[in-house]
Amino acid sequence: MTTPKDDRTEPPLVGDERALLEAFLDFHRQTLLWKSAELTPDQLRLRPVPTTNLSLLGLVRHLADVERSWFRRGVAGEDAPPIFYTEQELDLDIDPPPDADPDADVAVYRAEVAACRAAVRDRGLDDTFVSRRGHTISLRWVYLHMIEEYARHNGHADLIREAIDGATGE
Amino acid sequence: MSMPTDDRPRPPTVGDERAQLEGFLDHHRQTLLWKCAGLTAEQLRQRPVPPSELSLHGLVRHLADVERSWFRERFIGEQVPDLFGVAESPGADFLSTAGADPAADIALLRAEIQAVREAVRGRGLDETASSPDGRTYSLRWVYLHMIEEYARHNGHADLIRERIDGATGV
Repeated sequence: MTTPKDDRTEPPLVGDERALLEAFLDFHRQTLLWKSAELTPDQLRLRPVPTTNLSLLGLVRHLADVERSWFRRGVAGEDAPPIFYTEQELDLDIDPPPDADPDADVAVYRAEVAACRAAVRDRGLDDTFVSRRGHTISLRWVYLHMIEEYARHNGHADLIREAIDGATGE
Repeated sequence: MSMPTDDRPRPPTVGDERAQLEGFLDHHRQTLLWKCAGLTAEQLRQRPVPPSELSLHGLVRHLADVERSWFRERFIGEQVPDLFGVAESPGADFLSTAGADPAADIALLRAEIQAVREAVRGRGLDETASSPDGRTYSLRWVYLHMIEEYARHNGHADLIRERIDGATGV
């Protein structure tokens, strides 16, 4: 069992709204990478909990597309098509094909996080956009949704990682 | 296999900070209860994702204690004992012991949530409190931490529930 070195940044205990939202989201971005660290490509592809097809690789790919969808297509209004899934195969992000390359996909994920940070840097928390389903959504909601989205998937990652090599940690 | 009726409130997609923080936290409180719904006491006690020892019953107990600890004991400063003796026996909350009744502990979680709602009503998000460990926390941090805490454990609950009876749902 190897619990990877933990150099994540804890959110500040006191601060303004934007600072805390960004810090909690960054903490969970780092947590997903921490849960995926120091494993082989084959371990990242494993689906070790029998009743679910979730894998760490699938979670990394999924979160890359979720980041892009909410921050870039949604808040920033960019023309940024999905990275890993298609209209025909909507689960190709979270359910990776056998030839998916974990190292390459983690690099894509990291680049997407950087692009999302840049895309919303100058937007206010009360700025809104209209989603494809017609809902008016604020950037504040997107930050909170992304924190819950990551945290929930990091809960999945906890059990997947523990089943791969026994490593645990909050 | 399908989840029980889903009547969870959805967080508002537009709104002020407090309304959205409470909306997301309430959504995750209800999600944990939803993940436990329709199961027998024996199913709630199962630890079906080895090597993890987590059970739905253990998660309910843990979150009841976490609600009490962060909001009432540490932030408000109420003199309330921990619920399951974690001070003497760390991890006791997570344990689904033979003598503990899952239905009684779910009722206890619901009561604790109600007590917490009343305790923090009227407190501002920038208000701070010093906890026994000497650190100063803002109520804003406590809300965000509780959202990530519930969401992460609801990720555990997702895989545990799916393993018990195949039921899934976000």
